[in-house]
Amino acid sequence: MASGYKIIVMVKQVPDTGSKAGLNPDGTIDRARAKRMLNPFDKFALQAALHTKKMYGGSVTAISMGPPPAVEILLEALEHGVDRGFLLSDRRLAASDTLATAYALYKTIQYVGDFDIIFCGLQTTDGDTAQVGPQLAERLNLPQVTYCEDFSVQNGEVHARRIIEGGHQTVIAKPPLLVTIANSYHPLEYKSFRGAWRVQQLQRKQEELAQYIKTVTLDDVGADPERCGLKGSPTIVAKTEKVGELGGSCSIHEGKAVDELVKEVITGCNVKEFLAAGKK
Amino acid sequence: MAEEQEKKQPEKPELKDMSAICPIGEVLVIAEHILGDLQPVTLELLGAGRILADKMGQPLLCLVMGHELGDMPQRLLDHGADRVYVADHPELKNYRTLPYRRVVCDFLESLPSQPHTCLLGSTTTGRDLAPRIAAHFDTGLTADTTELDIGPYEHTSKVDPSKIGLYPNCLYAIRPSFGESLKARILGPWKNPQMATTRPGVMVPLPRESRKGEIINIPVNLQETDHRLTVKEIVREVAKGVNLTEADVIVAGGYGLGTQDGFNMLQELAGCFENSAVGASRKVVDLGWIPYQNQVGQTGKTVRPKLYIACGISGAIQHRVGMSKSSLIIAINKDPDAPIFKFAHHGIVGDCYQIIPEMIKQFKQAQSTSGVKEVVGTH
Repeated sequence: MASGYKIIVMVKQVPDTGSKAGLNPDGTIDRARAKRMLNPFDKFALQAALHTKKMYGGSVTAISMGPPPAVEILLEALEHGVDRGFLLSDRRLAASDTLATAYALYKTIQYVGDFDIIFCGLQTTDGDTAQVGPQLAERLNLPQVTYCEDFSVQNGEVHARRIIEGGHQTVIAKPPLLVTIANSYHPLEYKSFRGAWRVQQLQRKQEELAQYIKTVTLDDVGADPERCGLKGSPTIVAKTEKVGELGGSCSIHEGKAVDELVKEVITGCNVKEFLAAGKK
Repeated sequence: MAEEQEKKQPEKPELKDMSAICPIGEVLVIAEHILGDLQPVTLELLGAGRILADKMGQPLLCLVMGHELGDMPQRLLDHGADRVYVADHPELKNYRTLPYRRVVCDFLESLPSQPHTCLLGSTTTGRDLAPRIAAHFDTGLTADTTELDIGPYEHTSKVDPSKIGLYPNCLYAIRPSFGESLKARILGPWKNPQMATTRPGVMVPLPRESRKGEIINIPVNLQETDHRLTVKEIVREVAKGVNLTEADVIVAGGYGLGTQDGFNMLQELAGCFENSAVGASRKVVDLGWIPYQNQVGQTGKTVRPKLYIACGISGAIQHRVGMSKSSLIIAINKDPDAPIFKFAHHGIVGDCYQIIPEMIKQFKQAQSTSGVKEVVGTH
């Protein structure tokens, strides 16, 4: 099993903003009550990692950072066919911004060991910054491909297509490198029955599961706590304000027959101005 | 009120003046171009940067990297920069992370003092480059801002006592906050340059007028390791149909459509209009129902069409920031409490699969009757 690529995929657990559970009436997230999920962008990264392994051989290691429940997404990754997972979990990481997060993950990757390709989701749905991937690449001194929507390896070289404004570009690089995967990449395949069954079996034997999923602390990975969490973050959220409700002048049309409703709207505003000329 | 203040003031410790930590300074905009075309966001950043620089009484700088840039440096002056730094090298012709990163880092390190603020576009280039520079300098970076300002900040958190104090001139980087109906003001006054990327289409460029300023060539010293990635080709996609940002009419679909097939219906509705396009909320793009290029909102495109028809879109803040400036918004949603009904102009509470086919029917009728009218007119 010496051949193939040593692949790392970075994953994050985020609040499920799509479900109403855990949303306060004012629209803020109650993180304690919110449903949790694997960051949707990371599913594309996971697909890229597993596909690369399938095509060219190797192993996939999933790495995450977060509170203990984040182990759920590593189990999910395992079900999909990832070989092992590491969760960096430490109270001192609370309130880390992207720079502090990238530092902590950089130390974790160094702890995990050698790699050829690191896949990340383009961004997370709770932070929306798309910064941690490139900042990780900077710390690791790697070339990077962001906004990647197609990825293959030919003669030991990575060929990647990345989105740019109004088009795309194709780039070539030799591993090691870091790639962030856009949501126009292939969607994650369904987990196999076998994968799900295997993880179910593993969960019954904690000692055995511990061989596949390891939770580590800042001390384990040798990260400087001063560079993590609030202390290690050069940005802070100084103030939040509710976005004022706009307009409030919406004319609501309801409780009538469908054709009546539509007619009301069409006559109530100048929609017809924009209609294409009649075809006849 | 006044009494309260009097009572409080003696208790309040005198805040240390931290202006030495975050002194005022220049504002730097990093320019962006694709295949020789200066990107509009660069001119928008110069417009925003001009305001920030004037607030501090400081010059506005612009750094442009490329090869054989023609009149681009002059254009950057004409749109508001006081000084344009040009890094010209054949290897910089097209954007690549590592060579551009090298030039920016070398340039910043060569300056006697760091600029106060450094701005890039929140584009596939800016979001690729900015985080690397911020990580290299261990400085703060705020993504995807929609407002920028300069103002004071009192830091009182005791987590790191050495940081407590009054910072008189901070970059306020303001952005809609994740998944919540909130705007967050993000600061990082502990180190210059304070960095931000800014959404295209939000800031207002200055009109081009002949302005004087300096154009300065800077050295380019690339290293072997900067060439680890090569660009094989750059493809401009001839937009299938109308480009979202240029459409007069956008018919957009969200998760409320229930299935991917709903978009066929939206396509048909869009087909009723001149210069129209189909848009989508993020959730359905995440689900793979429609390509990313069609996404409207914070992480997609900012649009301001004459007419925006939102079908099965709840209207969360991330979507709203991308389309709320549309001239006329019609929303269709089953849920009468959907936030979109708070800012749409017309809202129809009902099932998209009943409303939209009826709309198509009535629009087609209107089209054919207007056709008849034309015939009558020529009578």
